[in-house]
Amino acid sequence: MLKAENTLGIIFFPAFDWSISPTHPEREERLLYTQDQLREEGIFDIEGIGEYKPGVAETEDIERVHFCFPETSSVVTRSHLVSAGGAIRAAELVMTGERRKSFALVRPPGHHAMKVVHGSRGFCTINIEAVMIEWIREHYGPKRVAIIDTDCHHGDGTQDVYWHDPDTLFISMHQDGRTLYPGTGFPQDLGGPAAMGRTLNIPLPPNTSDEGFLMALERIVMPILEDFKPDLIINSAGQDNHFTDPITNMNFSAQGYAALNEILQPDIAVLEGGYAIQGALPYVNLGICLAMAGVDYSQVREPDYSPEQWKQDARTTAYIEQLCEALPELYFTPPPFDGSEKSKQGIISGDWFIRHKDIYYDTDGISEAQIEMVYQCPHCRGLMKYETRSTNNPLCLGIEVPQGACRACKDLGYKMVEEAQIKGQYRYIQFINRRDKDYLRFGF
Amino acid sequence: MLLGIDVGGTHTDAVALDLSGPRVEVAASCKVPTKHDDLLSSVTEALRIILRDIDQSLIKQLNLSTTLSTNAIVEGRTEDVGLLVSAGPGIDPYNFQPCRDFHVLDGSIDHRGNEIKALPMRQAEKAIASCRKNGVRVFAAVGKFSTRNPRHENLIRRMVCQCTDEGACEGADFVTMGHEQGGALNFPRRVATSYFNCAVWRLYNGFATAVRRSLDDMGMSHVTVNMLKADGGTMPLEASRKIPVQSIFSGPAASVMGIIALCDIVHDSVILDIGGTTTDIAVFADGAPLVERDGISIGSHPTLVQALKVKSIGIGGDSAISVIGEEIRVGPHRLGPSVCQGGQRPTLTDALNCTGACALGNMEASKKAIADFAEKHSLSPEKLAETAVEYAARAIHKATRELVDEINSKPVYTIHELLEGKRVVPRKVYLMGGPAEAMKADLFKQFRLSTDVPSNYSVANAIGAALTRTTWELELFADTERHVLFIPSLSHRENIPTSYTEKDARKDAVNNLTIHLDKLGVFLKPEDAQITSSSSFNMVKGYDMVGRNIRVKCQVRPGVVRKIAS
Ligand SMILES: [Zn+2]
Ligand SMILES: [Zn+2]
Ligand SMILES: [Zn+2]
Repeated sequence: MLKAENTLGIIFFPAFDWSISPTHPEREERLLYTQDQLREEGIFDIEGIGEYKPGVAETEDIERVHFCFPETSSVVTRSHLVSAGGAIRAAELVMTGERRKSFALVRPPGHHAMKVVHGSRGFCTINIEAVMIEWIREHYGPKRVAIIDTDCHHGDGTQDVYWHDPDTLFISMHQDGRTLYPGTGFPQDLGGPAAMGRTLNIPLPPNTSDEGFLMALERIVMPILEDFKPDLIINSAGQDNHFTDPITNMNFSAQGYAALNEILQPDIAVLEGGYAIQGALPYVNLGICLAMAGVDYSQVREPDYSPEQWKQDARTTAYIEQLCEALPELYFTPPPFDGSEKSKQGIISGDWFIRHKDIYYDTDGISEAQIEMVYQCPHCRGLMKYETRSTNNPLCLGIEVPQGACRACKDLGYKMVEEAQIKGQYRYIQFINRRDKDYLRFGF
Repeated sequence: MLLGIDVGGTHTDAVALDLSGPRVEVAASCKVPTKHDDLLSSVTEALRIILRDIDQSLIKQLNLSTTLSTNAIVEGRTEDVGLLVSAGPGIDPYNFQPCRDFHVLDGSIDHRGNEIKALPMRQAEKAIASCRKNGVRVFAAVGKFSTRNPRHENLIRRMVCQCTDEGACEGADFVTMGHEQGGALNFPRRVATSYFNCAVWRLYNGFATAVRRSLDDMGMSHVTVNMLKADGGTMPLEASRKIPVQSIFSGPAASVMGIIALCDIVHDSVILDIGGTTTDIAVFADGAPLVERDGISIGSHPTLVQALKVKSIGIGGDSAISVIGEEIRVGPHRLGPSVCQGGQRPTLTDALNCTGACALGNMEASKKAIADFAEKHSLSPEKLAETAVEYAARAIHKATRELVDEINSKPVYTIHELLEGKRVVPRKVYLMGGPAEAMKADLFKQFRLSTDVPSNYSVANAIGAALTRTTWELELFADTERHVLFIPSLSHRENIPTSYTEKDARKDAVNNLTIHLDKLGVFLKPEDAQITSSSSFNMVKGYDMVGRNIRVKCQVRPGVVRKIAS
């Protein structure tokens, strides 16, 4: 009988009753064949691999991370709560030591969901990785976490959530934003003033194959991980880099995905995109499960796969080699933060970092204008303030006292919330106090 | 009049039940020792004893549960099997190799049932020739996703043997096809199930033939014979000849069905069948027995064989008492019968004789054996006997708690519904088997729950066997893009129109189940067949809907034809 080298918990939540629309790529059928393949392979009979039911995330789990307007219950469906609950269950298995690793095979996905939520963008509403990571930090204390986002699309939501957090390393490998939604994720994006180099983007050219992905992983990601020494490695496991994916242009294979996981050795993987639901997902997910469990995956391949056909050309290889030369420097010796007026990354004005963001929610057709402010505190990560209005909501306010905040920042947070209530110019106010686990909402 | 015979590890129990009156009456019952090297003689001996008291022309049916296949596997008395598999990409099938004559062929079928790679005929011919060279006479053909498209299994079958009838031929004596073992997806389990089905086929069929012949010889040709399955149902003898693997581990099912027949169980409950060698523990949720989620394991091989969830521990009336250090233990080994029955080593039954809980066989022999054994370990006989009985009760209680914890921590299904989020909290304990009455007080002390011992407890398993009704299960899979409907376990395939719906599928599943059982001579009321799961998914190509993927599961629920209690 087969035995897993690493015990692995798989949380399966195919959300067979949730879809964006009947023919949308993100629909009920999406994980059907993956489930069929995993069952037919008998993967849950392998000693050390177990299947678990997802939990249901609480509103508080969401509001610990996101500012949801007008309110959480109006942007989040039950499927989102179960999907996030699945990710939390995955974390719980690993944190309690019940399993060495875990994989949340859940939908709907989450990595395009940003800090502030007015609706859905890129099929995502709430950031299930972030909800999971902050659940871990809430229950197990501060942790250094590395998120490696291997979805074909730039993980702009996760990047936004962790932009100012020096304890979270976010690396996104994705198809170059000049050629794909959401059109972001370039090397100059390195994080806020206190977290420069904690965000790193690896934009890969279209038609990158296994060779290019694994080269970038080994030469850029792995040395950085070795230096960062995270307590946990999370894989935002999007599978739309596959050569058959209908909405992207990359040439990654099931063997490549499995090898990626074998090298990366994530503690927890959370499913993101991947829309070749018949020809790719069943094989890619199988490969990932086996690789995570440390079980031989050499016989896993797509029915129509031939490596020669999907080999990348020399120009692509040369381009990725250049990235491998240049990108690690941005982590190891990031340039000083330029907070001047001409900077596109935001300005430093007095004690505050300020940047303006215009965000479009393509799935729901909502436009948002947002001012993000971070108090430049010499003692802690700094109080955060979000002023936001959208085509759905009038002006709203979000204030966050981060985990490990100093007393002064905490007091400032409460004072600002009080003042905002008295002035009454905000329709909705949400207050996140991670220091004391105090989560408040006003204006409902 | 219905007969039930349960061939157990220690005893073969038999009952005749009279169903002609308003109440089910036990017309006759007996217990004979099981002869392991000749199970048939145990069956015929029990039959003869029963027939002394009743008019055999009144007997309509005999339901039989036997350890024959189970023992053959445990003892390695199985036949060599030629196992040919078409696996395609995935986990290396050599990981599931159960036997020597195992051949992986390069064919491949995907999850929708599309043939990705044709079966290489030359390779298959070579594999079959190699099996034949090794003297193999029974073959199994198993394909990955064969429950979606059995093409490769059918091809292999035709290459092994061209016959359309069931008789033996030059090519092979028997061929098992994986898709007929059930519609569930699990290729390694399909491989193991098909293998065991072949491995016990000859032995089982020999027994089936002998039982039938014995009945004929006794002038009971008119009696219908059914075999018990592990899921708490029966299958007609003739149907069972092709699926002997389903008879494995049917013993515990007989006990559970016996309790269902004897008691009105409505709460979460624990059922303890205390036998000679083992105690079988089963758990009921809301009055219904729990089933294994995927199927039982045979040896170290998980299979598709459906079974009630039963845990066995090595403590029974014949379990030897031992003293290890300070501790007095019972079991897990059985070393011959109890001293009161002529054995050598004092057992749990001997201890019960000493505490006064029962009075079985030669009481004086029990007392002397316990006294001698106690003296050897510088203990008082009372203390030894009491502690031994307490140990047994405690061990049974502990094992039960572990089973309940396991059930509550993992998703388990009741027979007809998923226990979503429900915790099983036993509120009653039902005892049966030989030492049941004697152990009642001590078990109550451990469980602190209402403890019941039904009358006829010692032959409850035979009663269960007699009253168990025929069950069947099938899965229907329809793909309206490919215009095909397939019921793997019946090898039934037909074309369907684009307009075919989930509702049509549910109707077809029930119809096919009814028709199939009718062919086996089992009459089914329409309400007996129930849909246990059903789903339909839109399939999309580009941005257009191209069809529906429909899955329906339908079964006749395990149960008893009549209850004795009411
Ligand atoms: Zn994506
Ligand atoms: Zn501070
Ligand atoms: Zn033939």
